[in-house]
Amino acid sequence: MSDGGGESGSKHEKTHSKRKFGGDDFAQAIAKIAVAQICEKVGFQTFQQSALGTLSDIAVRYIHSVGNAATFYANLAGRTEGNAFDIFQALEELGSAQGFTGASDVDHCLASSGIVRELIQYASEATEIPFAYPIPRFPVVKDRNPKPSFWQIGEEPPSEHIPVWLPTFPDPQTCLQVPTQDESATDAHTEMIELGKQQRKMEMSMLNLQQRFSGNGPEGPSSVAHGDNSKEKQAAESNPFLSAPLQFEEKEVSTVVLPAKLSKEVAFKNPVVEKRVVSNHISVIDTFAPAIEAMKNRICESKEEQKTALSDQRPPVQFKIGIGKKSFSKPLKFGSQNKDVGKIAPWFCKDNEKDEKKRRAEEILKDSMENPEELAQL
Amino acid sequence: MNHHNQQSSDGRHDDDAALTEFLASLMDYTPTIPDELVEHYLAKSGFQCPDVRLIRLVAVATQKFIAEVASDSLQQCKARQAAVVKDKRDKQQKDKRLILTMEDLSKALREYGVNVKHQEYFADNPSTGVDPAARDE
Repeated sequence: MSDGGGESGSKHEKTHSKRKFGGDDFAQAIAKIAVAQICEKVGFQTFQQSALGTLSDIAVRYIHSVGNAATFYANLAGRTEGNAFDIFQALEELGSAQGFTGASDVDHCLASSGIVRELIQYASEATEIPFAYPIPRFPVVKDRNPKPSFWQIGEEPPSEHIPVWLPTFPDPQTCLQVPTQDESATDAHTEMIELGKQQRKMEMSMLNLQQRFSGNGPEGPSSVAHGDNSKEKQAAESNPFLSAPLQFEEKEVSTVVLPAKLSKEVAFKNPVVEKRVVSNHISVIDTFAPAIEAMKNRICESKEEQKTALSDQRPPVQFKIGIGKKSFSKPLKFGSQNKDVGKIAPWFCKDNEKDEKKRRAEEILKDSMENPEELAQL
Repeated sequence: MNHHNQQSSDGRHDDDAALTEFLASLMDYTPTIPDELVEHYLAKSGFQCPDVRLIRLVAVATQKFIAEVASDSLQQCKARQAAVVKDKRDKQQKDKRLILTMEDLSKALREYGVNVKHQEYFADNPSTGVDPAARDE
């Protein structure tokens, strides 16, 4: 026998048959029962499930092959409907591997074929065992009742380009109503919307504030001093990377454009909360829209001069490096504000650690190079 | 054959009569393979025929085929058991039941041109309850 090949071969056969007769488990089950009955009649007491499955598969394939061959012979004779002789010919074809009496005679009459005689003999001898269960006709074809067309109802289609034989449109209510979603889903949805609203409000206020800053931001750091936190002031003074202009550009993208779009989509998706959200949202947008527009314009105008102002007023990029032993920190100019050093130093802590590690690794490597016996021992 | 040729006209006549009778008898015959199943698979293969006798004819043919395969594998099973029982009659006494196994079936099917390879290490047990002790061969 074979080991791997056998397995793959049978698997292949199985998948093949599955593809061919896929989806009718009911028919397969019936075939199994029928084959089991035949086996019982022959004299078997029990069976392996796999053997029964295989044999029932083969029975099904046999029926299929007979049908195929009979159809072929019927078509060969110019008929679409098969008759008994097509089946006999198909059976002869299938039985030619084993042989039957009279197979050598090419011109034999089909009615006197050995196959037919064997079949008659079998039918007369074999005890008649009907199938164990009553079977409904299958496969069950669900008959649909299609929607009546415009013509059947006697209605005029809403517009001219729709022919009358097409099915009618659903009622307008069905279009308006929305399929109710799960409780939890809607809950999550509303929660998300609420959260989004809150966030949006916060962002709006922030934006407003920042736009007010930016309005007179480039004029001098004195206006920045109006801000609530000293961090921004510091950033604007010392580090252009942390200064306001960059930040509100970011804001401009994220707050004004995106949420409006999103909220629209939300409103389309979930009209249950639609009105509230929309009204809320619109109120927010509406109230802030003129201010935002004004701010935007001013921003656009001031952008260019702002840039120049930046380069003029503010010192170029200043990295404040706390530890002087690093080589790359030397060419950079040290900042005048010493208080920042402590703040920025932690950024480089990691680098220090890394360096330390690197150094240690190098040391270890060197050691191992010098005395490779130790390494071998390790 | 010679005999057949000599009485060809008579024989043919007899055969025709027998065939007609057989086909007629199929109206009352109920094969083990149900009509619905055969009809379903014949329809799948493209064979269309409203005559219930032809459906039953295919059913009888399939039943005959399966019965032949089954009886062949029964012979294989019996032969295998007879070979085993020679040495360990006592041990295998419990396993005297006739079980349709893949091993026998694949041997029987080989003669019919169906090449079935059973999985060597596929642990399949007989569907009806057999003692766990008797199960391992």
